[in-house]
Amino acid sequence: MPGIVRSMEQADRSRTRCPLITDPWVARREQDRERQGCRDRAPMDGFTACPAPFWQPKDLATEWLTRVLDRSTRPMTLTILGLLLSSGAFAQDDSVVVMTSYPDNVIARFEAAFEEKHPEIDMQVLWRSSGDAMAWLAQPGHAPVDVYWTPSPRRFEQLKESGELRQLSDSQRALPDHIGATVISDPDGYFVASETAGYGFAVNRAGLTEAGIPVPADWSDLGQAEYAGTVGIPVPSAVGYAPVLVDIVIQAYGWERGWQVWSEIAGNAQLIRRGATLVSDEVVSARTTVGLSIDFFVASAIANGADIDFVYPLHGGMNPAHVAILEEGVNPGAANAFVDFVLSVEGQTLLGHPDIRKLPVRPDVYANLAADYHNPFAAAEQGAYDYDHALGQPRLPLLTALFEQMLVTEHESHVRLWQAVHAAERSGADMSAARELLGTPLISEQEAMLNTVQAPFRQGADEMGNGGSANPAAIAYQNDWHAQILDRHARVEPLVKDWLP
Amino acid sequence: MKLRSRTALRSCLVAIGFASAAGLVPAAGTQADTLADILVNPEVDARPLQGTVADATRDAYSQPFSTLRASDRDTFIHGRSVFQRAWVVAPSLDTNFDGLGPLHSRLACHSCHQRNGRGLAPEQGQRLQTMLVRLAVPGQKENGDLLPHSIYGDQLNEDAVPGVRAEGRVSLLWHESTVTLEDGKEISLRRPEPVFSRLAHGDLNDTMTSPRVGPVVYGLGLLEQVPASALEALEQQAASEGGRGFLNRVHDPVTGTTAIGRFNYKASAASVLFQSAKAMQGDLGITSRYFPQQNCSPQQANCQQATNGGDPEITDEQLHAVAFYLENLAVPQRRDTDQPQVVRGEEIFRNLACNSCHREQLPMPSDYLHANHISPYTDLMVHDMGEGLADGITEFKAGPQHWRTTPLWGLGLSALISESEQYLHDGRARSLPEAILWHGGEAQSSRDSYAALPAADREALTAFLHSL
Repeated sequence: MPGIVRSMEQADRSRTRCPLITDPWVARREQDRERQGCRDRAPMDGFTACPAPFWQPKDLATEWLTRVLDRSTRPMTLTILGLLLSSGAFAQDDSVVVMTSYPDNVIARFEAAFEEKHPEIDMQVLWRSSGDAMAWLAQPGHAPVDVYWTPSPRRFEQLKESGELRQLSDSQRALPDHIGATVISDPDGYFVASETAGYGFAVNRAGLTEAGIPVPADWSDLGQAEYAGTVGIPVPSAVGYAPVLVDIVIQAYGWERGWQVWSEIAGNAQLIRRGATLVSDEVVSARTTVGLSIDFFVASAIANGADIDFVYPLHGGMNPAHVAILEEGVNPGAANAFVDFVLSVEGQTLLGHPDIRKLPVRPDVYANLAADYHNPFAAAEQGAYDYDHALGQPRLPLLTALFEQMLVTEHESHVRLWQAVHAAERSGADMSAARELLGTPLISEQEAMLNTVQAPFRQGADEMGNGGSANPAAIAYQNDWHAQILDRHARVEPLVKDWLP
Repeated sequence: MKLRSRTALRSCLVAIGFASAAGLVPAAGTQADTLADILVNPEVDARPLQGTVADATRDAYSQPFSTLRASDRDTFIHGRSVFQRAWVVAPSLDTNFDGLGPLHSRLACHSCHQRNGRGLAPEQGQRLQTMLVRLAVPGQKENGDLLPHSIYGDQLNEDAVPGVRAEGRVSLLWHESTVTLEDGKEISLRRPEPVFSRLAHGDLNDTMTSPRVGPVVYGLGLLEQVPASALEALEQQAASEGGRGFLNRVHDPVTGTTAIGRFNYKASAASVLFQSAKAMQGDLGITSRYFPQQNCSPQQANCQQATNGGDPEITDEQLHAVAFYLENLAVPQRRDTDQPQVVRGEEIFRNLACNSCHREQLPMPSDYLHANHISPYTDLMVHDMGEGLADGITEFKAGPQHWRTTPLWGLGLSALISESEQYLHDGRARSLPEAILWHGGEAQSSRDSYAALPAADREALTAFLHSL
């Protein structure tokens, strides 16, 4: 008998076969139900199972406690248990539940090394993408999580704001909390950076040489006419790491010029809609000569033999990953041991493995890594990381939506018009009006900084991922922006008609 | 001897109507002549495989055939993403990838086949990561497959979703012994003994246990394409020459028929699609059209009651994409083939009759990658490998001492890609000489001949194997 959670679930099922689910599960689970039907777990009854909470109490005392609390007291259950557990009454610390979205090649290496160092602790991995992680934690009766460890800064801010994180110890907060202008750890110590990753260009140097094009040094280079057709851009609404790319360029050049630069780059680019290693795949295969990417995919490919390069641009940017201990965790000792390990020299050195290639947040570890390993602390001293990560985080969903409407939805037309602009300029024509129409941001910087404008997009992203647009206000904005783009393209068309491909 | 074999095989091919099989079109001469040559003559190189990759990096097992059509590239990439993606505990917002477990070994297919290479056995005290322990009790199912343990099933799952108790933990206890070669060189061999702890449902008692590392997954599409009639001809040839090996014939749920087993350590899977679905269920707890039940026994009540991720959890489209990805992973090209030591090693490989099982060439249908043969260094048959490698488990016709001839193509990059040199089904061999010395049974004479070689010849054989 698995305990109270099963009991509660059975009580629910006695009332209805498909108990209601608390937000934000509803939309997706309803889709599931339509697709699959919903049923109790009894075999052969013609339905699939309704969602059930998972937590199985770890000892008899806890099980007894949970059984005596009927479902009318369910809202109190976790609170009471939390108080008891935080007092250490039920802490066992023979296991640690780590929720993460890291790929298995990262998890497996940390798991093996951590368990070798702490054979008394069983590391249990609960894999969730970042949005899904929030949904897990919001679900009543969910299995408690001890540690959250993932590259998704906004989620850690959310968890801190909702009081779900424990303050880390002084020793866990001892590493640098910023690199250049980028604050990488929470000033209040509720979460700390566990690694970081830089953004830049995956470059097929042979392809560039063959085309007679120089290696790009900064983002604006990629908007030059000579790069037409050579650039690959991961679409921010479809590729998890890409929204920060948008913000890096906008912070580097300012709002107006930043969108102009993006317009120029997109005019030279093909769009890459899948994430994972595809940008580096495209560059290795020379289907794309320059791919915009986060560094570790490319660095790993290079470390494993791919004949490409990675260029960190003059205006760099980074995306830190974090680790935090959750208040709800039932193994605080083991959780601390895991966090200590992740931040230790041993843990940070694992990041340099050819299959991982993340940037450690311990400056002293770089001495143990290959001489050409990118050291962001050293680069920051040269001014490479003036990017304000905290400024960008709240507006990333909005920027993603702006990028989508301005540069993705009508991309084919956008490229065609830019080809004509370049052709016209080669013949000496003044194309400043066309450039302005193609590159002017859809909204002003002041408007973009308003919480009332950002919030609908954040809500959409929370529920639907980067490309989310379920919020009515967000949908209205996007419809308006799309209409603007169609109008602008129609107005550029006569300006460049003599040079259209 | 070669002439006699060739003549016998030609007769055999004609007798079973092979000349009309699989739409084969000869490159030159009569079809039977060409195929017979391929089967018996390793020098034949009429139309070798196109699309292999000249890649000696750690990505060498991860490339599609260079001949992969652009229109198929999206399917390949989609299959790769399903293969590499971590599955999540249901319910989840990520409805395309939910349904992990209830019992599982790892999170993703890729977990046990890192970089599509060989898994590794753990050192003493470490947890299994790219290895599983197959379980069976005496007897066989009605269809011939192994008889699983009544509670733990046919493999021990070390992990489970929250609320479900994992089945236990396994570590390996390594037993060392020493073999002395004829020139006096001593080589240490090790044998794993699985040690179980935290067992959730009582001791395993007399259950037979077989630790097995994740096998390599490139080149599978080619092995799948070898005409059944050609393999049957080989089997008949082997029978006529003293009964060295046989084809495992297995139940294939995909077609609902009995078919030649080509994959797995005991050739217990007939197709890549079936093997993919079976591993999805066994290793990840992901149900599919072919394995619609969760991997829980009736006694595992909390497992039975856990939430699923759909019915089935992996869609046909996802499963076919995984199979497509695996079928189109290319085989790396050989390296250093002109080096004198490698050439000498190849001679020794043949002189020791290694190629009687690790067959240098198998025929292909003419419409597959424009080749008329491949060079997988296997005959896809199972052979008695002696007591030293026996695991007590019977899978269809393959008994405790029977193991499928491991394809050796790409072998030389294994240590680079897996970051450690380990061979054989349980990773016991830490070098190629150790792997050879574990050969027994039908391979005993080859093994003994190897042990009698001078050191230079042994090293040449190793160099040849590293060139594959």
